[in-house]
Amino acid sequence: MAACGRWSTNSVLAMNEYYKNLKLAMEMLAQHNAIFIGQAVAYPGTAQSVTFENVPDHQKLEFPVAENAQLGFCTGLAMAGLLPVCVYPRINFMLEALPQLIQHLDKIPLFSEFRPKVIIRTAVATDNPLDPGPQHLNDYSDAIDAMLDTVKVVKLKEAYQILPAYEKALKDDWSTILIEYSEKLLEEKK
Amino acid sequence: MTPEELIAFEADIAAEYNAGKIRYPVHLSGGNENQLIDIFKNFKKGDWVFSTWRNHWHALLAGIPKEEVKRQIMAGRSMTVSSVEHNFFSSAIVAGCCPIALGVAWALKRQGSENKVWLFLGDMAACTGIAHECRNYAVMHDLPLRIVIEDNGKSVCTYTGVTWGKSQYVMANCDYYHRYVLPWPHAGAGQRIQF
Repeated sequence: MAACGRWSTNSVLAMNEYYKNLKLAMEMLAQHNAIFIGQAVAYPGTAQSVTFENVPDHQKLEFPVAENAQLGFCTGLAMAGLLPVCVYPRINFMLEALPQLIQHLDKIPLFSEFRPKVIIRTAVATDNPLDPGPQHLNDYSDAIDAMLDTVKVVKLKEAYQILPAYEKALKDDWSTILIEYSEKLLEEKK
Repeated sequence: MTPEELIAFEADIAAEYNAGKIRYPVHLSGGNENQLIDIFKNFKKGDWVFSTWRNHWHALLAGIPKEEVKRQIMAGRSMTVSSVEHNFFSSAIVAGCCPIALGVAWALKRQGSENKVWLFLGDMAACTGIAHECRNYAVMHDLPLRIVIEDNGKSVCTYTGVTWGKSQYVMANCDYYHRYVLPWPHAGAGQRIQF
């Protein structure tokens, strides 16, 4: 297979397939009246932005950079009967939301009859082609998973996993964190 | 409920605790019964309440039957009394309810509801960053969030004014604010219990 710049054609095709499926997953959630909350959701700005192109504007809410408040806000939407999709461009940024994730969204079913369901979307980055430095590159998925009792963590390593994972998250009664590894495709398939 | 009924409820819980019948922390309300009764005159059916670890009186005034509030307290949920039926939720974490209340307020506005969200905060919680974030968002987006600050001067045993460097440092332009003296300790009912 011919190379495409610094990546193989296979890896670029895999990346395209990955984003195509993410876009389909967002469309599928939008058809179920989900509301998408986060940064670069209603406006361009991150690699994830293009995946919201087919989501109606009234279902996208650009939120201030206030990650902990954002997750609590989504928990409130869910308690009021809405279906929130809480978007963090990097798992490093999601660390700022751990108080609401660990102490509230995860624990509320353990101490009350409320069952808020939030679908959380985030991503693990690589240093290829741009190295964003040590505050952007980590994969904390296992550490976060280890702190959770009711919220589930799903790693999306390949494109084919995306739609079934989001369909399951939509059906499940509990909250789910779906973690993207799209940039790893470029790294691993060179 | 009357002030006398609220005070009697907590006296009953204190007696149960001091008798060793509640093997969990309890946080008794006291000293602001008249202010709370006045505030809840503005409460409408269908409104939401978000409360703190000291929530017993909020729960009773929001309409949860006293038998149910007591049942939850006896089961170890003094800090987290809640009711789906009554749109009532409380959290044991300082300021933890702020963004959740904000989200409910946004949802109510989107759904075209006339109802409001009542968010109760202690004075230390009102000083936190997330409380200010949520207050700013609610004001700028004209959300039906009403913030009530109950100022007893401290959080657990830490004095709010001393630590923040002011005698009274709370959120500007909150909807309701009152100072009061809590007649109970932070937790428990004032007696050492040998379980």
